[in-house]
Amino acid sequence: MTDSALLLLQAAADTTHAYGEFPVIGARAFIWITAEVHLMFAAFVLGVPMFAVVTEAIGIFGGDERYDRLSKEFTRLLLVAYSATAIWGAMLVFGLSTLYPRFWASLTAIFAPSMWLYAGLFFIESFTLYLYYYGWDRWKKGRAKLGHWTLGILLNVWGTTVMFIANAWLTYMMSPPRDITPTTDPTTIKLWHAMANATWMPINVHRVIANVVFGGAIVGAYASYRFLAARTDEERAHYDWMGYVGNFIAMSALIVLPFAGYWLGREIYQYDQSMGITMMGGFMSWLWVIQAFLIAVLFLTGNYYLWIGMGRIPGAERFRPYTKYLLIVLVLGAIVWGTPHTMIADSKELAAMGGSHHPFLGALGVMSAKNTAVNLMILTTFLSFLLYRRANTRPVVPWARTGTIIQGAMFAVAAAVVLFYGIRGYFVEAIVRIGFSVYQVLAVLSCIVFVTVIDILMARGAQSLGAIRWGKMPPRSQYALFILAVTFTWLMGLMGFARSGIRQYWHVWQVMQDTSKYAATPALGYASKMISLCVLIFLSLVAFVFWLGGLAEKSTFVATGDAEKGARHVGH
Amino acid sequence: MWATNAKIVGIVLGTLALYTLIANEIPQVQSEVPQTLTLGANVTPEQLVAAGEKVFTGIGGCPTCHGLGTRAPNLLTDEKGQGPIGARCGKREPGKSCKQYLYESLDQPGAYVVEGYQPIMPVMTKQLSPEQVWAVIAFLESQGGTVDVAASDIPATSSTSTTSPTGGGGGGGGGGGLAGGSTDPKAIIQAAGCLVCHKLDGQGQVIAPDLTHVGSRRDAASIRKKILDPASSVTKGYEKLAGIMPKSFGTMMNAAQLEALVQYLGAHK
Repeated sequence: MTDSALLLLQAAADTTHAYGEFPVIGARAFIWITAEVHLMFAAFVLGVPMFAVVTEAIGIFGGDERYDRLSKEFTRLLLVAYSATAIWGAMLVFGLSTLYPRFWASLTAIFAPSMWLYAGLFFIESFTLYLYYYGWDRWKKGRAKLGHWTLGILLNVWGTTVMFIANAWLTYMMSPPRDITPTTDPTTIKLWHAMANATWMPINVHRVIANVVFGGAIVGAYASYRFLAARTDEERAHYDWMGYVGNFIAMSALIVLPFAGYWLGREIYQYDQSMGITMMGGFMSWLWVIQAFLIAVLFLTGNYYLWIGMGRIPGAERFRPYTKYLLIVLVLGAIVWGTPHTMIADSKELAAMGGSHHPFLGALGVMSAKNTAVNLMILTTFLSFLLYRRANTRPVVPWARTGTIIQGAMFAVAAAVVLFYGIRGYFVEAIVRIGFSVYQVLAVLSCIVFVTVIDILMARGAQSLGAIRWGKMPPRSQYALFILAVTFTWLMGLMGFARSGIRQYWHVWQVMQDTSKYAATPALGYASKMISLCVLIFLSLVAFVFWLGGLAEKSTFVATGDAEKGARHVGH
Repeated sequence: MWATNAKIVGIVLGTLALYTLIANEIPQVQSEVPQTLTLGANVTPEQLVAAGEKVFTGIGGCPTCHGLGTRAPNLLTDEKGQGPIGARCGKREPGKSCKQYLYESLDQPGAYVVEGYQPIMPVMTKQLSPEQVWAVIAFLESQGGTVDVAASDIPATSSTSTTSPTGGGGGGGGGGGLAGGSTDPKAIIQAAGCLVCHKLDGQGQVIAPDLTHVGSRRDAASIRKKILDPASSVTKGYEKLAGIMPKSFGTMMNAAQLEALVQYLGAHK
C-alpha cells in the first residue's frame, strides 16, 4: 500500500477531530454570531430589493418620479450591505469548516452541487445589483427603463433562489427525510431528496415574508435617522415619507407573517410531534411569552407611529377620538397573548400556582384566547391604517355612505367570527380547536382584502381636505421607528434561536448527534445576551454602512421645492 | 446632532437591555444532553428521588405532557381530588402496589390510559435506562407518597448506561440484542413490548394496527422497513398515531433477531 493511500485511510479512520475550538468566546458562540449577523444582512439584502422593484414599478406605471427616487435610494443602501453579507457568510463557512469539520464534511457530502450553484448565483446576483444601481440614470426612459426594471426583478429571482438553496441546508438539519438514519452514508443521499424535506417550503415562504418585514423596518430606521439629521424642510418631508413607506411595508407584511408561522409550526408537528412539543410546551415554552411581548411592542409602536402621523394630516381630527379605543383593544390583546400557559414548571412552581394552570389566567393562556387576541390586534391595526389612509379625504362617490356601512359591517362580522370561534374553542376537542384558527384567519384576511378594495373604489375622485404636511412630525415618532427596527431585529434573532434550538443536541435531528462540549441547548437568558450582541453588531455595522453610503452620496435627494406636495399615501 | 445621536444610541441600548432583562428574569430552562446515571448498591431513597427529579424534568421530558393536565394527567399536583401521583398510584389498580403500577405505566403505558386522555405516551423503559426508570418511580412516589424503591429493584444486569431519548446518535444495538439475544420471536416481541400497542394472536392492545394478519398486507421487506423506520409508512386509519412507534428497535435487535421477527410476522397471513 502506498504512503498516500495509508494517509487517506488514516484520515478517514480518524474521528477524533470532530470539533475545533475558538479562543475566548468558544466555537458555538462564534458560529452563533457569524450565522446570525450573516442572516440579518442577508434578510436585509433580500427584503429591500423586493420593495425596491415594487416602488420602481409604481414610479414607472404611476408616473410618479418620487417613487423612482425612493427605489433608487433603497437600492443604494444595498450596495455595501451586499459586501457585508458576503463577508459574514465567508466567516460562517470558515467557522463551520474549522470548528465543526465533521459536521461540515457531512453537509458538503450531501449538498456540494447546491453549494456550487449558490456561489454562482451569488456572483450573478451581485453583478445584477451593480447593473441595477449604476444603470439607474442611464436607463431612465422608455423601453430602457422597463429593461432596468427587469433587472430589478432578476435581482429578486437570484436572491430568492439563493435563499431557498441555503434554506434547504438548514431545514435538512431540522427535518431530514425519514429514511435517513445515523448509519446512512451521506454520499448516498440524493441532493433533491435532502433538499425537499418537510420544513423546506414553509421556511422559504416564512423567510420571504419576514425579509420584507425586516427590510422595511431597517429602511424605516434609516429614514428616521435622515429625518432627524435633516437640515431643510424638503429633506425632512422626503425622509418622513420614506419612513412612513418603510413602516407601511413592514407592518403590512407583518400582518401575514403569523399565518406562514402557523404553517411552519404545523409542519414541524407533523414531521415529529416530540419536536413540536419541545418547541411549544417543552424547554422552549417561555420563549413564546417573550415573543408575545415583542410582537405586542411591534403592534403598539406601529400603531403609535400611525396615530402620531395623523397629526400631520388635515381632516384626521375626525378620527383621533377613536384611537383610545383602538389602544384599549391592542393592550388587552397583548395581555392575553402574553399570558403563559403551556410550559415546564417544577413542583414548587406548580404548588405556588395552585395547580398546573393559574386559576384565572390559565383560561386566557390557551390558544383559543391567544388566536382571538392576535386576530383582533391585526384587525385593529388594519383599522388604524384605514383611518390614517382616509384621514384627508372625503369620498364623493354616490354610494360612499353605503360603502362605509358595508366596511363597518365587514369589520363587525370578522370580529364576530373571530370571537365566536375563540369562545367555541373552549368547548371542543383540541383537534377541532386547531381547525378553528383557519376560520379566524380567513375572516380577518377576507375583511382586509374586501375592505381595501371598497376603500380604493371609494377613494376615486375623493375630495381632498388638504395635503399631508410631510415632515411635520415630532421627533418621538422617529424614535418609534428605531424601536420598531430594534424589535424586529431582536425578534428575528429570537425566532432563529427557536428554530435552531429545537434540534437540541443534534446537528441533524436524530441523524447526527452533537457531541461537542456545547451540545446542550442554552436557556433563554444566555440566548438573549447572544441575540442582543448580534443585534448590536448588526445595527452598528448597518449604521456604518449607511454612513459610508452617505459619504459617497452627492445628493440623491432632489428638493421638490414644495414639501407639502410631498407624497400621498401609499396606495393612492 | 450629537444629542440626537446620543438619544438614538440610548433608545437602541435601552430596548436591547429591556428585552435581555426580561428574558433573564423568566425561569431558565436549559436542554441538557442525556447523561450517564450511576446508582450504587447502597443508594438511598433521597438520592433516587433527586436523580429521578432530574430525569423527570430533564431527558425524560415528562412535564411536557404530565405537567399540564391537558395532554396527560398531572403527576405533581392534584388530579381530580386524588392528590399528586404518589398519593394516588397505589389506588389506581386493585392488587397493585404503587411501585408496580408506576413501573408498568412506564413499561406498558398503553395498558393504563386514564380516561379522557389519548394513548400518546411512549414506552419509557425503551427510552430510559433501568436506573433512570427506577429513579423516576422513586421521584413520583415522593410526590405525596412513600418511597419504597431500593437498589435491589434495579436489575443487576443493567449496570451503568448512557441513554438518549431517541436511541443515541449512531450507536449500534447494545450487547447481544433484546431478550438476551434470543432469536425466539415471541421472546423478542415480549422484550420489545410490541403488545403494549399491537395485538397479535388475541393478545395485546389495539392502539396500533393488529398484527395477527400482518403477513397478508405486508411482505417481509415491508415489515423489516416498518420496524427499522416506523415512519416510512402509516397504516390507514392510524394517521393520528404516526410517530408514536419508537425508531430505536432497529438498534435494539441484532440482525438474526430482526430476521427472525420479520419471518415470524410475515408468516401471520
